[in-house]
Amino acid sequence: MARAKKAITSTIAEAVVSIIKGHWVTLVNFWRPTVCERYPHKDKSLDYKPGPGYKGDFALITDKEKGRLRCIACQTCERSCPNGCIRVVPEGKGKERYPAEFYIDVGLCMNCGICVEVCPVDALTMTPDYECSVHDPRDLVRNIEQLTERGLEFDEVSRVK
Amino acid sequence: MPVVRNGGRRDACPTTNSMETQTALPTEELLINMGPQHPSTHGVLRLVLTLDGERVVEAVPHIGYLHSSMEKIAEASTYQQYVPYADRYDYLNAMGNEFAYVRAVEKLCGIEVTPRCEYIRVIMAEMNRIASHLVYFGCLGLDSGAWTPFLYCFREREVVLQLFEDTSGQRLLYHYLRIGGLRNDLPAHFCDKLAEFLDYFPDRIKEYDDLLTYNVIFRNRLEGTGQLSQELCRRYSISGPNVRGSGIPYDVRRVVGYSIYPQLEFDIPTQEEGDAFARHLVRVEEMRQSVRILKQCLEKLPEGEINVKVPRKLKPVVGEVFERLESPRGELGCYLVSDGSEKPWRLHWRAPSFYNLQVLPELVRGAYVADIVIILGSIDIVLPDIDR
Amino acid sequence: MNTSIIYAIGAAVRAWSEEFCQGHGIPTLFVDILAWGIGAILVLVLALLVALFIIWLERKVSGYIQVRLGPTRVGPVGLFQTAMDALKLLQKEDIIPQGADYWLHLCGPVLVFTSFMLGFAVIPWDVKATLAANVDLNVGLLYLLGVTSVGVLGIVMAGWGSNNKWSLLGAMRGAAQIISYEVPLLLALVCVVMVAGTLSLTRIVEAQGPGILAWYVFKPYLWIPFIMFIICGTAEVNRTPFDLPEAESELVGGFHTEYSGMKFALFFLTEFDHMWFVGLLGAAVFLGGWQSPIGAADPIPGFVWLMLKSFAFVLLLQWFRWTLPRLRVDQLMGLAWKFLIPVGFIALAIVCVAVLFV
Repeated sequence: MARAKKAITSTIAEAVVSIIKGHWVTLVNFWRPTVCERYPHKDKSLDYKPGPGYKGDFALITDKEKGRLRCIACQTCERSCPNGCIRVVPEGKGKERYPAEFYIDVGLCMNCGICVEVCPVDALTMTPDYECSVHDPRDLVRNIEQLTERGLEFDEVSRVK
Repeated sequence: MPVVRNGGRRDACPTTNSMETQTALPTEELLINMGPQHPSTHGVLRLVLTLDGERVVEAVPHIGYLHSSMEKIAEASTYQQYVPYADRYDYLNAMGNEFAYVRAVEKLCGIEVTPRCEYIRVIMAEMNRIASHLVYFGCLGLDSGAWTPFLYCFREREVVLQLFEDTSGQRLLYHYLRIGGLRNDLPAHFCDKLAEFLDYFPDRIKEYDDLLTYNVIFRNRLEGTGQLSQELCRRYSISGPNVRGSGIPYDVRRVVGYSIYPQLEFDIPTQEEGDAFARHLVRVEEMRQSVRILKQCLEKLPEGEINVKVPRKLKPVVGEVFERLESPRGELGCYLVSDGSEKPWRLHWRAPSFYNLQVLPELVRGAYVADIVIILGSIDIVLPDIDR
Repeated sequence: MNTSIIYAIGAAVRAWSEEFCQGHGIPTLFVDILAWGIGAILVLVLALLVALFIIWLERKVSGYIQVRLGPTRVGPVGLFQTAMDALKLLQKEDIIPQGADYWLHLCGPVLVFTSFMLGFAVIPWDVKATLAANVDLNVGLLYLLGVTSVGVLGIVMAGWGSNNKWSLLGAMRGAAQIISYEVPLLLALVCVVMVAGTLSLTRIVEAQGPGILAWYVFKPYLWIPFIMFIICGTAEVNRTPFDLPEAESELVGGFHTEYSGMKFALFFLTEFDHMWFVGLLGAAVFLGGWQSPIGAADPIPGFVWLMLKSFAFVLLLQWFRWTLPRLRVDQLMGLAWKFLIPVGFIALAIVCVAVLFV
């Protein structure tokens, strides 16, 4: 269905009004506060930290009473990871079972959070830490020391409240 | 006597006829590649254009540059493992994709989710529709040469994304919906923040309209461009705002009435003209309708559990389902076949962008080069959705 | 004010050097040549500095219009950002695409740049202060339109020489557009010429004094030419809504798609200088050039007024760019030939009547 033609005078009037309206919008927005922040310069007010439950970098939670990682190296996370970016090397038997090595390739990870959900002992968590960039892609593979260190400030799995 | 060479496609383009009577100068059609690296193909679409001056004689879309085996991956992963992948092919409508997939699996396994969960799912889907249409609006502005609406749209989209981030922990690919429920309940401040956004957002839409929609240059660019007749819509199985812009009130939310949509009041905006401007108006009006839906959802949002018990090892009975819903781009379908094991035997996506793109060669024939980007923008494709 | 500071300094230096030459038996023609050379270099340096400033201004204006910040890092409020960008462009590899016509590819940006620079020769900077101080080119406006339209050749050369189909399309659009918009621009300027009774820019400016009400923009019968001048000026500069030759969303980068390094910088500088140039021209023709709004009693030098007026134009063009979408090529041509040119003739007729009877 074709659009109806209008008289040239009304067309010109409409055109001028629409153009002035558009310029008014940009003029109003010129004086509005800017939404940009000078990231990573933290001189203004860039104290942004994502809320709990953010799917950022990984951490292994330490059981402070027992003085060891909560992880029992059951390898459920390894099996349930859709991309297969987790590798756990278990050591010991039964209740003494613990992870000798724990690798997460953050470069391969798609931050779905399934590993955290399936963990039977809530040992693995994703932190609100979003600055993960490194100079060498090999540094993206997190090992057990890094994961433990990051997890020291967490007592519980980081969850939305 | 010089020979007129124009590839033997003279009748395909209406303009070449006038050329013929005008001159005997040797003219040649210009074969030109638009894409895969081109600023306005919304990703990596490649169009092989045959141009006669600035007019398009023929356009052949080449797709597949973003093929990522999304359907094959499903056959190798369990039902739960595939949910994050569902986000990833139509990245502007991640919640909607999850919604479709999760609904399909739930239908296959006969799982009933709680009412609160249904409401939250619809809230998420409608928020994502607003976010997606904002990207569409901004990108169409970019395609037509206006830079500023893009940044205004992204300013408002940022609010929606921030809410998504607070809820699901991610900004673009959420993995928030689960089979039988959700990842977690809404955060405490969610409803207030969303209500605040819904209060001022309609004013912002009006501002966008003043800036772009009713701008005379923009209207002249869009009106009469990419005329999509009802007959073409039916022939090519077009869906979504594109078909509603041609005057067919087809919306899966109304036709099928899945989830809680039958309990909600909203209009299906349609326009009769079928050109790019009609499609544009439909999308702008859909944002307003989404605001209306969201307000009702916030009012009616029931308390209660969000998850139902689902076995960790999900083994549906042998069978097949097809579940469809209305994504911002059109009818999104998920076809799932189970062989009784932990993994789907086959998954197929009825991706709206893929079907909508097919009509492009028909629409751009005889149009100007500048119209291609407008038409492409106005049918609002997402490339990973096409290539999957 | 009969003379200006610029004129006074120029005259003093000249008098001293003429005396020096006569004392040492050097012909005074040498002084003339030197004076023109120095003047040209001064204007060139000024134009480059202003271009750097306008680029910064553009980025700031666009930033704030789009609720962003614009450049903030280099220097106070990012003022040296464009200087650093220019340095970066200087270091870049000059890429010439395979199959490109080397000389056309090279000459394109040079010709574009030169043609716009030539236009600065007749701009009246202040009282009695054009580039060639005592030579008042009496066909200044004609000369100016003549040299600036040579730039089109540069655009076509760049588009053809790049061996890129997108560039070629952009160049064809550029040529068609600039040639089409010369006509209404000329019509708008002819109206002014009829009112002033001269083609010399200096005298057009002199005719618009004293006081703000003598400016041509405040004469009701010159309103239509003024609006036409703004539209055509925007089109001449190839800026949104008339940026079809480079239309980045359609033609990738138009005629400068295949340029890098300093050649690209030349195009870039030219675009912004041209914007300023249109501002200067508009200020001279419609806003009274260096004339102060309060007449001769104003202590502020005329040069400052000229700069303020030209930058008002520049800001206006920037405001257009960040608000409006782009026209399509047929609409662009239609606007010029079917609308602006008839309107231009009507305006011309109105001005004829006005000149006769007012």
